[in-house]
Amino acid sequence: MLTYILFALVIGSIYALLAQSLMLSWGLAGLVNLGLAGFFAIGAYASAMATTWHHAPIPAGLAIAIIVGGAVGLLVCISTLKLRDDYLAIVTLGFAEVVRVVASNEVWLTGGTDGIPGVPVMVPRDLGLGFHAGTLAVVVVAVALVYGLQRRLLAAPWGRTLRAIREDQTVASVAGKSTVRFKAEAFCIASAIAALAGALYGHYTSYVAPDQFQPLVTIYIFLAVTAGGNTRPAGAVIGAYALVAFLEATRFLADLVPGLAPVQAASLREIIVGLGLLLVLSVRPNGILPERSQKAPAR
Amino acid sequence: MINRRFFLGSSLALSGTLAMPAVLRAQSGPIRLGTLTPLTGSGGAYGPVMASVVKRAAEEINKAGGVNGRELLILSEDDQTNPEAGLRAARKLIDVDKVAAIIGTWASSVTTAVAPVAWESGTFLTTVSGADSITLLPHRGFLVRTQPNTTLQGRKFGEFALESGAKNVTFLSPQTPFTDSQYAEITKVVTAAGGKTTKLVYDDKKTTLRTEVDSVLRGKPDAIIMGGYATDTAILVRDLYRASYRGKLIGFGYAVNKQLVEALPPDVSEGILTLSPSAAAGSNGYAHVARLAGMETPDTYSCQVYDQISLVAMALGLGRGDTGTVIRDNIRKVSQGGGERVDTAVDGLKLIAAGRKVDYDGASGPCDFTETGDVTDAKFRYEQVRGGKITLIKIA
Repeated sequence: MLTYILFALVIGSIYALLAQSLMLSWGLAGLVNLGLAGFFAIGAYASAMATTWHHAPIPAGLAIAIIVGGAVGLLVCISTLKLRDDYLAIVTLGFAEVVRVVASNEVWLTGGTDGIPGVPVMVPRDLGLGFHAGTLAVVVVAVALVYGLQRRLLAAPWGRTLRAIREDQTVASVAGKSTVRFKAEAFCIASAIAALAGALYGHYTSYVAPDQFQPLVTIYIFLAVTAGGNTRPAGAVIGAYALVAFLEATRFLADLVPGLAPVQAASLREIIVGLGLLLVLSVRPNGILPERSQKAPAR
Repeated sequence: MINRRFFLGSSLALSGTLAMPAVLRAQSGPIRLGTLTPLTGSGGAYGPVMASVVKRAAEEINKAGGVNGRELLILSEDDQTNPEAGLRAARKLIDVDKVAAIIGTWASSVTTAVAPVAWESGTFLTTVSGADSITLLPHRGFLVRTQPNTTLQGRKFGEFALESGAKNVTFLSPQTPFTDSQYAEITKVVTAAGGKTTKLVYDDKKTTLRTEVDSVLRGKPDAIIMGGYATDTAILVRDLYRASYRGKLIGFGYAVNKQLVEALPPDVSEGILTLSPSAAAGSNGYAHVARLAGMETPDTYSCQVYDQISLVAMALGLGRGDTGTVIRDNIRKVSQGGGERVDTAVDGLKLIAAGRKVDYDGASGPCDFTETGDVTDAKFRYEQVRGGKITLIKIA
């Protein structure tokens, strides 16, 4: 049981990283990034390839994942400069599918649908419970670092500018802000965070394959961020842990209903997840931790 | 208010389960086994039947007195045809439910993700995944699969195409872990007989395959082998018909299944040849699974999970235990090596209790395993769609 709880916490922490990535690009910069799973995949593959096939140390693998993720994020952002809202959402969704299809079909590069098994782990596996606890410590440190970074960025003028751009791009540019630069920076950092999450995920489960990066992950993270509050790092983190707790709890809830066939129980789980989102949205439309209006610092 | 309720609800549900395992491990309680099948997602066409066949098979065993007097309790989880979700579900089965075995992982990617946590925790894993790489994992004996490996299936497909009189064979398949090895085997067989082969890989999430069909038909193939699953095969068959292809069509039995044939007009599906791993002709296993599944022609996956639960139950019966290690140490003693032939676990358990040696021949085949967990020999059912009905041609 303890292993299961530690496992759920590690997954929750990885979701928390993804949620912080989405909070930055969607909540603050207003860039609807439906391609989150794609960046998650890029990070996982970058680090897994470097450490499994080229025997790079894991910290180097993580660094490579962050750099590659950020660079690809920049590329996607620059190629979609003129797009906002729905259009950006469509293109980024397409991007994630491109990543998945390339990962499945370019066997020479990615190992194809077989994936990459045997990705090295951060803490020796034979420690049993220690493996999960150690990995949890590493990912929690990553969540805390990203959280600290986000808090700094948001309290800085940079964060205020980003919010101004989200509210009204024209007004922000009239005020002399380079909207393109700010959006690209935000998207790049967000992609790098998602890639870091992917790399950590690969080093925990030891296995990376295209099927892991279906749009389902993106949808879960949207759910987490919506529930937690999409403009505050703390909201995103809390939302992510709450989501994993909720997803896992639905397993036991569905078990409580007697006389259900397995497929009905599985459907019931999906219904509960959907109802959960509706409930949160109707009662707290801005999430558990809604945005606070920040006053400009006194001179 | 509701937030609090939301948290309270979920944390209550989580903490409630904390109390469970202590009760579960008692030697006298039921023996706990898990199914991990795709109930939703792209494998959703197969997983529900698989899960219910295992459940019903366990009920039969329980009705006949259980395993060494203990009932089997089946816990079902959904892998959502997704390795990430599948891994979470597997952890719950292993750590919370403390199952001795996980039965029925379907997608190769899910199996590869779940296998390490299974062998590390000493949980036995039985799978229907076909990728060659799976049995090469360092699983320390905690894994068997009942699906023939892809090399064998590829060879049979090639021979079947030649038998049907084809010389120019095209392989149309989505990208799966066995696409390449299967095509290589088909090519080997067909070129040895003087024919030629081509391959086209499509995206199985597309809603039309007309472009792929047109490009393949330019090569004027006289047989097309379809490597996909039910959903994409239905699209493929329809688009081939629309493009006026009237040559031979060969598919997997699990793709060209009863649902697909019923969903398509009879002249669209007419003449499709299918191939699936099978029990020997006259074996009761297949008819038995048909009864359990409540359908005339159960697919190979339902047959395979039936064999898996039967083998697991008999291995536990022989080893007089309730752990994955007991299953690992005894499964080959009930599956092969001579003894009285049985095709249901109920019969097998009776003989085992009487101290006799059994050799299980199941619904999906003889179920004899190599050291690494592959099936050694498999027979195949050759069937054809005739007038909107799947008709048996032969078993060989």
